[in-house]
Amino acid sequence: MADDGEWMLESIAGYLSSPDWIIPIADFTENNCSVFDDEDENKLTYTEIHQRYKQLVERLLDNYMQEVGITEEQFLEASSALTVNKTLQAVFQPVLATHDFQMFRSLMVQKNMELQLQALHVIKERNGGLPECLTDGVDVMSELEKKEMNILQEVLRRSKEEYELEKADRIQEKDETASTSSSLSEALLGTACDSVNGINGTSQENELKEYGVLKTSPPSCERKTLPALRPPVKGSGPADHMTSEILSDCDSSRRLTDEEGLQQRTEYLKQQRDKLHALKRDQTLKTPTERAPVAPDPRHHTQEISVEEKKKLQKRKHLAEKLKEEVIKK
Amino acid sequence: MGEVQKGLFSVIEKLKGTTEQELRIVLLGLDNAGKTTLLKQLASEDVNTITPTQGFNIKSVSCDGMKLNVWDIGGQRKIRPFWKKYLENTDLLIYVIDSADKKRFEETGLELSELIDEENLKGVPLLIFANKQDLATASPASEIAEGLNLHTYRDREWQIQACSAVDGEGVQDGMNWIINNIVKKK
Ligand SMILES: Nc1nc2c(ncn2[C@@H]2O[C@H](COP(=O)(O)OP(=O)(O)OP(=O)(O)O)[C@@H](O)[C@H]2O)c(=O)[nH]1
Ligand SMILES: [Mg+2]
Repeated sequence: MADDGEWMLESIAGYLSSPDWIIPIADFTENNCSVFDDEDENKLTYTEIHQRYKQLVERLLDNYMQEVGITEEQFLEASSALTVNKTLQAVFQPVLATHDFQMFRSLMVQKNMELQLQALHVIKERNGGLPECLTDGVDVMSELEKKEMNILQEVLRRSKEEYELEKADRIQEKDETASTSSSLSEALLGTACDSVNGINGTSQENELKEYGVLKTSPPSCERKTLPALRPPVKGSGPADHMTSEILSDCDSSRRLTDEEGLQQRTEYLKQQRDKLHALKRDQTLKTPTERAPVAPDPRHHTQEISVEEKKKLQKRKHLAEKLKEEVIKK
Repeated sequence: MGEVQKGLFSVIEKLKGTTEQELRIVLLGLDNAGKTTLLKQLASEDVNTITPTQGFNIKSVSCDGMKLNVWDIGGQRKIRPFWKKYLENTDLLIYVIDSADKKRFEETGLELSELIDEENLKGVPLLIFANKQDLATASPASEIAEGLNLHTYRDREWQIQACSAVDGEGVQDGMNWIINNIVKKK
């Protein structure tokens, strides 16, 4: 019976690390994360999305159990054994998010931020740096940023608290000690990264680094390699054309110090993000053709972008950088 | 919700350990009743910058060794149809009434009686806050209780508590009732 449990546990953990699970879950979070900002108040749509997430998880687990031929009781019994295994517990996090709205929310907020960061990264790679119009304005933002940071820290604190509760139990059993900072990282990892990374066997420290790297350079995670968004060869296509356009826009906006330049940047970022999004979907659908996106003219939709959104994007970027710092420091 | 989902609950409980039990509390009532003010008061946060809730807020408050997860959902008419999506697994319903808003006593009474009939709230204890007692025009709690026919509620424990969410008066008394009647019985 003990052997049975062991086998089942490994099978479950294996499933939760397999593409059959990881891809639909990642697809879901990527397709639905864009409405998840880090305002204190929750939107009603979060609940609806959470509901659909529950249904997805339920469907996946049902399929899995049928395939492997285990009952729900067996599954739950094996899952209970996760209390004593940290690595498996981490893999189980996306399952737990079905019943923990706060956990689900921070997972989605995190994913949203991650996609924004990736878009920024792509711009950096293309231009050898961020256009100046994206890097200034820090002072104007600092107030809003502070507020957002507080909210984020609250979320982190909460997940840390929960982590430590779990941990307190284990310490009794295993007499294991760890510093506060590492448990914060682990909690962060737990809520933010597990669904993406898949995690197998690496130590928490390594995962943390991976996470840091993942934040700065997305291609470190294999699923996230985005060949089509690499800097294009000079003068080879519409994307390159756009790059120079953007750079010259940047010059002019600096000259004019007007809002338009910033708005275009914002729109560009949003488009990058959407492209990235679409690209990943393509990748997961295993249709590698037609990946090179034809960049839309960033000026087309300029009028639709509010000052609000522009601010939001910029503060998001600063926030993400702070977060990155925090994670790497600790 | 399938069996796996229900079962997962127990797994999560186990994962969280037995150190702290949790209660799910839902805070409802008409718009402008003072729900968010009350929530912030409970969490010892600033109550002066509150705007009408378009979605919902969640705060966790530690209380007598228990973690109270309080869900405050917007009370505007257009949001009320969504209330029932938040009632599952609720341990306590807190219903907030603006005691000075006599014009809407009937409306708030109707909303409450509809909630009480919800399957998910069957037998769930009810705490009513007769809020805004600091206002001169506020009706006393006893009058409101009568208007709501609270004495006819026999399928659950209930309590009505006069309070002022802005200055905190009476809020602790309501919390004490929760501790004595729900937390201690868990
Ligand atoms: N005088 C007085 N005003 C109060 C009290 N509690 C809340 N208010 C005020 O009533 C108004 C509405 O309070 P909210 O907390 O936003 O009400 P709510 O129930 O959350 O409203 P919705 O989010 O629209 O459902 C605010 O201006 C509060 O300052 C109170 O005890 N006394
Ligand atoms: Mg409110």
